[in-house]
Amino acid sequence: MQHLSELTRRLIAANVEFVLVGGFAAAAHGVLLVTKDVDICCRFNEKNLLRIQAAFADLHPVHRSRPDLTLQLTPEQCASLKNLYLKTDLGVVDCLGQVLGVGDFDEVLKNSVEVELPFGKCQIINIETLIRAKEAMNRDHDRIAVKHLKEIIKQTQK
Amino acid sequence: MKNSHPDELREAPATYATGANEDIDLELLKDNLTRTPWERMLANDDALNFAESLRVAMEKRNATLK
Repeated sequence: MQHLSELTRRLIAANVEFVLVGGFAAAAHGVLLVTKDVDICCRFNEKNLLRIQAAFADLHPVHRSRPDLTLQLTPEQCASLKNLYLKTDLGVVDCLGQVLGVGDFDEVLKNSVEVELPFGKCQIINIETLIRAKEAMNRDHDRIAVKHLKEIIKQTQK
Repeated sequence: MKNSHPDELREAPATYATGANEDIDLELLKDNLTRTPWERMLANDDALNFAESLRVAMEKRNATLK
């Protein structure tokens, strides 16, 4: 059973400094396409990465590329990691240090909106910046998502 | 559907409005925009798990056909 919303709730509960980006952010904005993972852009420092680790500690988190490796971050890893791709019992979480077409965490944060969720506030990349990121990625499903996002802008401006 | 009895079955319209690029169901999109971001996130989870259950069911069916 995948539960991307619970993964997001846990990140907020653990006070992780992050912005929701990617397909799940698109879904939150209203895109009708289904996404299979949570993509976040987050600050890559030891404190924040250890908070991510703590948030998913009981969900058997492993490195996606090395499922035999349980997530047990060392200070050295925290200092050198640029991205962190995780698989947990509730789904996949990709933690990115920067977003293509946008920039680093601070730049993404500047281009985000604060959304009130039932359990707390969540920063979500704003719709215009998400379009920019999706256009930079330019995969088939990104192009479809861009069409949806542009239509959402049109609909919400009416 | 206006003026319909609440107990009536709602049928999908024969045609549906699409966006300028014709591959977006505008009715579904507009309906989705009436939801909160959290409701949309939960709907993604539901769709994802439903798709997964279909995939598993198809796998089982295909296995029994072999």
